[in-house]
Amino acid sequence: MPTIRVTDLHVRHRKTVALDSLDVDFGPGVHGLLGPNGAGKTSLIRVLATVAEPNSGRVEILGEDTGEHRRRSAVRRRLGYLPQEFGYYPGFTVREFVAYVAWLKDMPAAETPAAVERAVARVGLGDRIDAKVRTLSGGMVRRVGIAQAIVNDPRVLLLDEPTAGLDPEQRVEFRELLRELGASATVIVSTHLVEDVAAACTEVTLIDAGRVAYRGTPESLAALGETAAGVVGDNPIERGYTAALRAHRGPESAAPTAHPLEGAAR
Amino acid sequence: MTGWHASDALVTRYANGSLPDPDAWSLEKHLESCGRCAARVSRAVRETPAGVVLAEVRETVLRTSEREAAEGALTARGTRAAPAVRTAGDARASGAHASTSGSASTSAASASASTSTPDHTTAAAPSRPYRRARLRGPRSLTTAPIGSRTARVLWAAGPAVRGAWSAAVLGVALAAVLLARFADFAGARPLLLAVAPAVPVAGVALSYGAHSDPLHEIAAATPSAGLRLVLTRTAAVLAVSLPLLTLAGALLPSSGAPAAATWLLPGLTLTLVSLALAGYVGFRAATAVTGGGWLCAVLGPVLTADGRLTARLAEQVSAYLDGAPAQGGWAAAAVLCAALLAARRPAYDRLDRR
Repeated sequence: MPTIRVTDLHVRHRKTVALDSLDVDFGPGVHGLLGPNGAGKTSLIRVLATVAEPNSGRVEILGEDTGEHRRRSAVRRRLGYLPQEFGYYPGFTVREFVAYVAWLKDMPAAETPAAVERAVARVGLGDRIDAKVRTLSGGMVRRVGIAQAIVNDPRVLLLDEPTAGLDPEQRVEFRELLRELGASATVIVSTHLVEDVAAACTEVTLIDAGRVAYRGTPESLAALGETAAGVVGDNPIERGYTAALRAHRGPESAAPTAHPLEGAAR
Repeated sequence: MTGWHASDALVTRYANGSLPDPDAWSLEKHLESCGRCAARVSRAVRETPAGVVLAEVRETVLRTSEREAAEGALTARGTRAAPAVRTAGDARASGAHASTSGSASTSAASASASTSTPDHTTAAAPSRPYRRARLRGPRSLTTAPIGSRTARVLWAAGPAVRGAWSAAVLGVALAAVLLARFADFAGARPLLLAVAPAVPVAGVALSYGAHSDPLHEIAAATPSAGLRLVLTRTAAVLAVSLPLLTLAGALLPSSGAPAAATWLLPGLTLTLVSLALAGYVGFRAATAVTGGGWLCAVLGPVLTADGRLTARLAEQVSAYLDGAPAQGGWAAAAVLCAALLAARRPAYDRLDRR
């Protein structure tokens, strides 16, 4: 039973097409969202987060049509969203920041303090909870962002580039957290790092030019890389990524593109 | 209610966790409405190893929470008496578990079902206290009053009231009073009345939207987003600016300008106009048009006309603010804008399409 169902979704930014008649659904688990830069990953996540309005199409989350204004609040209460970029109020501590978002999410006042501590501890910032956000490093701010996203124990969690700025050890811990969250919630992680996908995701969706280029598991994507001939990549998943993109773009564009791995490796 | 009841074999297999999930679910559904079977299941569960452990855990938690309560009455909170006592938050959480697992027979059954059937959904839960114990720092025992009413009011106030705008309002009010008192500036009140209606509009501009709220992208995905947060923050802006500027105006010599309170309704109306306009063109453009439009309408004729500046300004301000027809007009506009706001409520939800 999918928790997110997207039907015929079109999103345009001025004249460029970000999402082109996209049909996709997601169930509980951790879904990796891969694709080259500008493929539409952030556009899709912003629409699912009910922040951006699609030009047309239907988005159903937890059985509610997010196009209906009245139903949207019910969805938003059970939503967690980490934007690619976000700001904070300079004077806020980690605790205040996360508690403020809990307040915005309509959480009951009595539950908020405990939920805030739990969320901050889960991202490994328990010892910095009363530090001002502006004194933290970029990776720590990113983790504060993850804490605010999970403070309400969301049923649907949308993370746009959550591992950007995290060091390798933090990424390993974060993947553990992802698996934990994916046991009950629908987690969608947009990422450039294929290692994250291989290690933490149960399913992979590859987007290219606003359309779904490939869907499967990390294993099936890696298997695709093994069988396809003449693809480049340092590991099976990277090769699978290239092969899937090439297959999707069709024979006319199979000629070597400028940056076939643009989105896969940094 | 059908005459079906759980067989002994079914109950035993449920208790020891060997019953397949679908059968366990249908049994649990039955237990919700059948007290007799629920009692049998919970008796069977209590005899399993998990049931014994559960009873011990419950006993320990109850004892420590009692002891903690007793100690809490004597000493300050946060004494680490026993390893089982972690923090106030933890104790509360585990206390809640104990009461649900121990009190009613049906909930005892369901609680033990989750301990006796090891599946992937429950596997995540036990790791949580572990993670917390590992990651929790020593400082987390000090709980800041984040749930307090003051904090919530401050949160509601939004970026404008917390930021430089409040200081600016205070500055305008103080400057006006000081100018009039010590520099004998006669035009202080007309000038204040001319500027005042644009002040809450500026506050609104700094309160909401991607351009002024650093948290906008996060806030926009929460149920508070949209008109609700806009109105909360606007109310905070008005709560600061209305009394402060009116008080300052009352302290100034009249100089032919109308009473200090005459700007209240126009100020409110201009705020509502900018909110209503924002539903079409966004907050930045709407507040610029409304605030700028007002300032031009007041100051424009003054600057182009002849005569003493103070007198002209007082005359112009009086024309806009003084008397029943003017105030009536402002009131009518306010009502109109409020109605428009209510009708176009959904438009505020996703204002900035990228």
